[in-house]
Amino acid sequence: MRILKAQQINKTVTTSDGQLTIIENLSLSVEQGTSVAIVGASGSGKSTLLALLAGLDVPTSGVIELNGKDLTAMDEEGRAKVRAESVGFVFQSFQLLPGLSALENVMLPLELHGAPDAEVRARNYLERVGLGHRVAHYPKQLSGGEQQRVAIARAFASEPKVLFADEPTGNLDSVTGATVIELLFDLNREQGTTLILVTHEQRLANRCLRQITIDAGAITSDLSVDEDEIRVELSE
Amino acid sequence: MSDWKLAAKFLWRHWRSGELRVLSAAIVLAVTVVTAIAVFADRMDRSLQRQSNAYLAADRVVTGRFSIPEQWQDLVSDLPLEQSFTAQFGSMVFAENDMQLASIKAVAPGYPLRGDLEVSDVPFGLGNEVYFADGIPEPGEVWVDSRLLPILDIELGDTLAVGNRDFKVSKVVIHEPDAQQGFSVTGPRVLMNYADVESTGVIQPGSRIFYKWLLAGEDGSLDEFEQRIKPELGEHFQFRTLQGSQRSIGSALDRGKSFLMLAGMIGVLLAGVAIAIAAQQFAEKHVDTVALLKSLGAEAPKVRKLYFTQMLMLGVVSSALGLITGEFLHQLIASSLSSLFGVELLPASWTAYGLGFFTGLICLLCFALPPIWPLPTISPVRVLRREINIEQLSVRTRALIGLSAVILLIAIYSQDLKLTVTVIVGLIAILIVAVGLSLAMLRSSGQLGAKAGSTWRLAISNLQRNPGHSTTQIVVFSCAIMLLMVLFMVRTSLIDEWRLQLPENAPNHFILNIGANERAPLIEEFTAKQFEFNPLYPMVLGRLVGKNGETFSEEDRDLSNALRRELNLSWTDSLAADNNIIEGQWWDQWQSVDGENGVSVEAGTAQEIGIKLGDELIFSLGGLELKARVSSIRTVDWNALTPNFYFLFSPGALDDYSPTYLTSVFVPNDDKRFINEFLRRYPTIVIIEIDRIIERIKAIVTQVSQGVELVLWVVLLGGVLVLIAAVSASMARRLHESSILRALGSGRKLIVGSLWLEFSLLGFASGLLAAFGAELILFALQSLVFEATSRIHPLLWVFGPILGAFFIGLLGAFACRKTVTVPPALVLRELQS
Ligand SMILES: Nc1ncnc2c1ncn2[C@@H]1O[C@H](COP(=O)(O)OP(=O)(O)O)[C@@H](O)[C@H]1O
Ligand SMILES: [Mg+2]
Repeated sequence: MRILKAQQINKTVTTSDGQLTIIENLSLSVEQGTSVAIVGASGSGKSTLLALLAGLDVPTSGVIELNGKDLTAMDEEGRAKVRAESVGFVFQSFQLLPGLSALENVMLPLELHGAPDAEVRARNYLERVGLGHRVAHYPKQLSGGEQQRVAIARAFASEPKVLFADEPTGNLDSVTGATVIELLFDLNREQGTTLILVTHEQRLANRCLRQITIDAGAITSDLSVDEDEIRVELSE
Repeated sequence: MSDWKLAAKFLWRHWRSGELRVLSAAIVLAVTVVTAIAVFADRMDRSLQRQSNAYLAADRVVTGRFSIPEQWQDLVSDLPLEQSFTAQFGSMVFAENDMQLASIKAVAPGYPLRGDLEVSDVPFGLGNEVYFADGIPEPGEVWVDSRLLPILDIELGDTLAVGNRDFKVSKVVIHEPDAQQGFSVTGPRVLMNYADVESTGVIQPGSRIFYKWLLAGEDGSLDEFEQRIKPELGEHFQFRTLQGSQRSIGSALDRGKSFLMLAGMIGVLLAGVAIAIAAQQFAEKHVDTVALLKSLGAEAPKVRKLYFTQMLMLGVVSSALGLITGEFLHQLIASSLSSLFGVELLPASWTAYGLGFFTGLICLLCFALPPIWPLPTISPVRVLRREINIEQLSVRTRALIGLSAVILLIAIYSQDLKLTVTVIVGLIAILIVAVGLSLAMLRSSGQLGAKAGSTWRLAISNLQRNPGHSTTQIVVFSCAIMLLMVLFMVRTSLIDEWRLQLPENAPNHFILNIGANERAPLIEEFTAKQFEFNPLYPMVLGRLVGKNGETFSEEDRDLSNALRRELNLSWTDSLAADNNIIEGQWWDQWQSVDGENGVSVEAGTAQEIGIKLGDELIFSLGGLELKARVSSIRTVDWNALTPNFYFLFSPGALDDYSPTYLTSVFVPNDDKRFINEFLRRYPTIVIIEIDRIIERIKAIVTQVSQGVELVLWVVLLGGVLVLIAAVSASMARRLHESSILRALGSGRKLIVGSLWLEFSLLGFASGLLAAFGAELILFALQSLVFEATSRIHPLLWVFGPILGAFFIGLLGAFACRKTVTVPPALVLRELQS
């Protein structure tokens, strides 16, 4: 089943130097439960594409369907609803609210949607990312890796269909980054979430079932890896 | 979870993180100041109304030359009104050896309905010897003025005859609520029971008697009574309410109230500025939060509701808190004031509390909402692209909203157009000048910076790098300092003025009816006792009967009290200090034409009767006619308790009319008994004691001054809050800049030094601008509202910049201490995320 479908999307912005096309005639579709890495040089349009696919922004033209719903036909409120129902995010800069404890940060999306068991679920997910003992700590008191783990707990806590991650290891050293990635893929597998991951690290991209390379807003290669191959790689 | 619960939860978290503290403190402050002042002013107003009714001894009075008709009782029988009666007439009273013309007042049970009758068992009693009478004289007894005892050579307990009837003198009257003020010669008071009047037999048809029917009760019943009685009055009776309060106390309190209003207004303005700054900061901090909430699927309306609910909750809770602290503050101001009023201080009306409460919400609505308003419109893409920002309402829109709020608040609150317009116009003028001048100063500081050392260079380039920001800070600082300066100076001049009005040794006795041959011995005795006394004014009783060759008609007589009664006429060659010539010339410049007499007329009387400079006035003095040309119009300070006259003649004009003399003297309490003995030796001299009145005024003025001081300090807190808000608003930027500098290897000393210098420079410039603005507003206020003479205040120009530099420098360095104590890496990382 296709969870995400983009058809002929364009994104053009107006800058002081005139029109700038960031995404050009891009089409792609993603199967439910898979993991996709979007790779490319800095400035190639990865984050822009991610924002479009996640319904944070609208394309200048083209159609995007997420979980069977046409995002481009909706207004911002409609897209917000779709995001609330089926999307989770992990950001390069973590985006934890500094005034909230780890637990409260994880509870945030659940509370927003009125989940009755927000606290229980949030605690559960914090346990899963190995921070069960630090629920009361504030972001300031946590290391970068720990902050990103809180962010991952927050993303999974609302049990999204699709998880978008933009350079999740960009602000972390390689060792910490590796453990965070491990966690991301583990949870992804457990919950059967579709993972869309933007990165410029090949090592990270290699762990996904599919790699899409973009350059200047267009797809230059789209490689699918056999799942068994990865299993073999992992077991080695 | 319901939206309310969620909002409450969010609010709690934001509160916990400390980002709402300034905002909330500012709301609490605004509400505190307004509540305290509004409630206090309201209670004072209501109590003063009561108090002034005490000068009637009732709420309403019907007066007449005839006794109050029995059938009028039917008009009030169904109204819940208290009532009493008095009758007042002049009569000779007799003791064994002497007799004296006395002013007799017969009072019925219940008198006085408002105010208190103070009596004593000791002639000329003082302090503890004085107490409130709990009734009226028993039949067969009289209470008398202390000065009657020496005149008649009797003691308390002796007998005194009025007409055919003997009375026992059982107490002395110290103070009647409805006593006349000033120094008309009415003879000493004899207070008797109304039931005894007839048995004296002194009331004959044609006797001059004033009857009064006193009534007191609720406003509704009083109004109903007024409706019913008015058509019945006819020409022989008058209906009276007391408009305005007693002059001396009234004007002290009026100015005190104007001051409190001004202080409240300034407090609200300062709080408003603090709220606006704090809200702006809050909004800036929450751009990321809102973007995140939206990326998590919260729609704009939901976010809006969430934030507005939080603001509403914050507003309600802070306002409630402000109500409590305001009530507390007002209690402090009012605590001992109640004892000064004859009646208990009445509770405030609920509108005063309502005013305080809604001030908080209005402040929030107008100052906090504009910066927060566009928050929900932030695009969720910001979570990925940090450079995306919200479109703020334009500065002009926000300024307009803020300004209308200020005008609205001030207008509702002070209900004083002059005060409102003065402050607003002043404020706008200052804003314009401040923006212009601070930009100019920043620009010109460029050359200075180029030549200076590295600390200076860094500080100045910091200021210049962001001229908009620096200008905003200067404007905010200088407005805050300016408002505080205005308040401080007004308070100082107000209190000084009160002190001047009631100097320590202000005369507390009027001495009248001094015969020509008694002048020298009196001066001698007073000098020997080292009493301070005013020059002796000659005085002749006379009536003003005509103008420019025409006698006044009956209608003319209705124009002014001065045409209906005998006037105290006097002459003097030296103009008293509290008199001001507003038209014409005083005697030293005035030229008499053909030996005509000149007369100087008090301005209010001149206006009432329509007297102009150059008119010829005709007086009747004991049947003799005296003409005099109006040579000048004078204003008189009736607040000063010194002898003052409506008509003052040119020197010598009254010499042929056998004047008596009058003066006023300060008799220290220790020497009070001297008066008793003095009067026994000079039985024809009349002494009127006004020490009780003076004491009362002094006590009230002291109390109001204390209230004024207290309010000043609270408002000062508002100023500090603004400074804190403004300094902390620029914290993030400074933190960032200084950590980059430190990362690049700048010394801690250089950074602290330059920060301190930067704020000191801001403070110095602000102090200078503030002094300028304060002068402007003070000038307007003093000439328009407080009607005092205005002058330049050099102290402002000296202390403004110095204290401004000192305190803002200190505050800035303190607030920014984090910039040098936190490791730069941590700051940079925090700022990035
Ligand atoms: N709203 C915008 N206005 C102007 N330029 C933009 C905007 N959004 C993206 N860009 C530009 O488009 C290019 C692609 O950006 P981005 O998607 O962030 O790239 P990546 O994430 O691959 O580094 C960049 O050069 C960026 O500056
Ligand atoms: Mg990017």
